[in-house]
Amino acid sequence: MSRRYWFRAAKWQAAHGNTRIRPGWPTWPHPLPVHIAHVGQWYHAMSDPTRLAILEFLSQRERCVGELQQVMDAAQSSVSYHLKVLRESGLVREHREGRRKYFGLRADTLEYMAQFPHVIGPGKHTGTCPLTCCREPLTYQENLIRYRP
Amino acid sequence: MTTAAQPRPDAARVARWFHALADETRIQIVEMLSHKERCVCELEQVLELAQSKLSFHLKVLKESGLITDRREGRWMFYGLQRDTLDQIAAYTKSVKPGKHAGSCAVACCD
Repeated sequence: MSRRYWFRAAKWQAAHGNTRIRPGWPTWPHPLPVHIAHVGQWYHAMSDPTRLAILEFLSQRERCVGELQQVMDAAQSSVSYHLKVLRESGLVREHREGRRKYFGLRADTLEYMAQFPHVIGPGKHTGTCPLTCCREPLTYQENLIRYRP
Repeated sequence: MTTAAQPRPDAARVARWFHALADETRIQIVEMLSHKERCVCELEQVLELAQSKLSFHLKVLKESGLITDRREGRWMFYGLQRDTLDQIAAYTKSVKPGKHAGSCAVACCD
């Protein structure tokens, strides 16, 4: 986490309290276990057809904003907005080469995302179960390891 | 192997799956359903939500095909749909660096 992240999180929290989640940017500390906020954020980033198209396009190789804009046939501001949401949720990373910023996918986050449907498969007993019928709940640390963003 | 043979799901459908999983309450519901089938009464008791809100979230999950319902007497029991979860996993795996998912619109690629 960058210094900018903590600064913005603290600012948001001071203004709004820690009761509400802003899409694409989780508050910290979070009222729910942190893994749920992160998982929700990944899926929020992928819940838009434009962002899915961007992700599919980026899966070929790293691209700069100009190329994305050309292919998506959208305004630069909208492409930049979608890239911001994707970057803040940890799906996309950027690096600068000269005057251009190149965007590429983050394999680690996508790996965790691909595991998630298996983790919550039927009969898998994910997370803590508050009903007595089930086995012992996982601890907070075990949950963190399981869903590490 | 069977998932690879299936046709690629369209973007609207994929977006609907991910939209259903983009809410904390729905993730909690899905986690509870991963233990076993639950009825609305159990979910209501654990999540401490009004029944109307819970029904809304369950409707979103059901329309995206993530859960199925089964009526038993007076109660509806909800369970996870394994096919959809497998398709989600297959889709997410297809979008990785160097995977060339979808069609490439730029001439630089092979």
